[in-house]
Amino acid sequence: MLLTIAWRNIWRNRRRSMIVLLSIVVGVAAMMFNDGLSVGMIRQMLENSIGSHVSHIQIHANGFNDNKVIQKNITDTHLVERMLDENGNIAHWSRRVVTYGLLSSALNSSGGLIVGVEPDREPEVTSIRRSIIEGTYLTGASHEVVIGRKLAEKLQVGVGDKVVGMASALSGDVGSDLFRVVGIYETVSSDFDKTHMFTTLTNAQSMLELGDAVLEYAIIVDDARQVEKVTEELRYHLGDAYEVLSYMDLLPLLVAQVDMYDQMMYIVYLIIALAMIFGIVNTMLMSVFERIQEFGVLMAIGMKNSLVFWMVMLEAVILGAIGTVVGLAIGILLILLFGSVGIDFSIFAESLTSFGVGAIIYPRLTINTVVSVSIIIPLTMILGALYPALRATRLQPVTAIRYV
Amino acid sequence: MEVIRLKHIEKTYSDNGVPVHALRGVDLSISQGEFVVIAGPSGSGKTTLLNIMGALDKPTQGRVFLEKEDISEKSKDQIAAYRLEKLGFVFQAYNLIPVLTAMENIEFSMMLLGIEENQRRERAREIMAELGIEELAAKRPNEMSGGQQQRVAVARAIVNNPSIILADEPTANLDSETGANLLDLMEKMNREHNLTFIFSSHDHQVIDRARRLIILKDGEIEKDEIVTEKA
Repeated sequence: MLLTIAWRNIWRNRRRSMIVLLSIVVGVAAMMFNDGLSVGMIRQMLENSIGSHVSHIQIHANGFNDNKVIQKNITDTHLVERMLDENGNIAHWSRRVVTYGLLSSALNSSGGLIVGVEPDREPEVTSIRRSIIEGTYLTGASHEVVIGRKLAEKLQVGVGDKVVGMASALSGDVGSDLFRVVGIYETVSSDFDKTHMFTTLTNAQSMLELGDAVLEYAIIVDDARQVEKVTEELRYHLGDAYEVLSYMDLLPLLVAQVDMYDQMMYIVYLIIALAMIFGIVNTMLMSVFERIQEFGVLMAIGMKNSLVFWMVMLEAVILGAIGTVVGLAIGILLILLFGSVGIDFSIFAESLTSFGVGAIIYPRLTINTVVSVSIIIPLTMILGALYPALRATRLQPVTAIRYV
Repeated sequence: MEVIRLKHIEKTYSDNGVPVHALRGVDLSISQGEFVVIAGPSGSGKTTLLNIMGALDKPTQGRVFLEKEDISEKSKDQIAAYRLEKLGFVFQAYNLIPVLTAMENIEFSMMLLGIEENQRRERAREIMAELGIEELAAKRPNEMSGGQQQRVAVARAIVNNPSIILADEPTANLDSETGANLLDLMEKMNREHNLTFIFSSHDHQVIDRARRLIILKDGEIEKDEIVTEKA
């Protein structure tokens, strides 16, 4: 019966209850959508980095990641490749030569990473082939190079033009080669496009006097949730001569950003909850003050203070529960809708590409968001109703009955 | 059997720092089945006295014994339990719970006692039939007349078989015919179920029905008499 009373009391002042409900629904939906958008953006940054170059796992000779010198190369490629072929969780892998160098055209020059890749294997590991906007991807012919749009603009070259690549060779001499631009790519990260140039593995090995040695293996696992497990397995089997690094080791700033964002969200939740709490206190207090005489009667006929308290709380809990469920449903629908079509932030494209996000952001639904919102909002309602409920219990029946 | 005894009850209020003596050393004992009217001019203390008997207010001095138990020093929850089990209230403004139907209003105090729904329904129907208000069962207070609401309030007051029913100016908001009908009903309950009724009123219609009339003046009992023959 208490539930009946609480339910009917809520609808006594339909307009007020609808306003409170609406504020909860909008709060919950906005909280969810904001969370979904931010999660989507950060995950896109991470996935773009993984997809454009980093891959899930990289293997190098020990110490290469901290000091990228070609002396730290892998010569026993058979051992590494056997391990990679034997691991059932690995979907694709590719050999690479990665070194800092200089690319020059007739008009300009620019430093960056010269990456030698296998044209047949690399597209299964990273997305550069899909990012070609002009010309073609590496075909496997000698002296081909694929560069980013930003770099092409800086060097003032186009498809078919010649560029010279230079880098320190294994002997210590400067290795150089003449390349012809066969393709120009554009990823969602303008920084990446300015600094990464791709040629064939054999060209790079030849220019740097590496023979058959490679500097890096890029690996994609079947299931991204298995990355840590596969990393550990490879570390165990390859031993100390090699460094096996997951994308979490390779992109520490981005991973830290994801973690930091998770913490930040709780602060955002707290701010929204604080804003909501004052509205709830105000509404529930009004609702209590309007019914002082009624509470007096309830107490006079023998209702204990604790029950009066729970009656008020129940009204807040019902409002909170309805608002949360409706808000969650709207929030989930919005995230699913925009998660499939994306939200076009082209007007901010310049800044978004500098962060490696891309102009279209796809909000993502996470169970963490749903759980957090489902706990925080009803809890906020309960906290907001505490004071009004306590006020109701402090009423004296003798004065409350006569309250006008 | 004595149902309530008041010993040397004093009640003093503070009105902007000025003490106001609402009751001055009231001694009173009321027995089971009495039909008592407390009358007196405005400000004589009759409502204060009724509130103290109903454990809605505490005396400044003195003791209240309900069925021989001293309730003066009981906790809020204990007093609430006494009110629930031993006392029934009929208010001047009816004071039904607006969001509940007549049936639910009558059931409410039984719910507080933890009585199961089926039993509550059965008992509420029984009382409504006895008071002739069955047709009001599904109506909410705003759909009932004053007289109908007050009948429902009487049903609510007596449904738990309390020791005492306290009625504060129960006819004040009713026309004389409706008031008379209500008093007939209360007299009937008193007669047939030996229920104790204590009224606070200055309505002659009520005073005329008293079988014990207590006149208060300036917070003191001026007259306490058994009325043997009603006018």
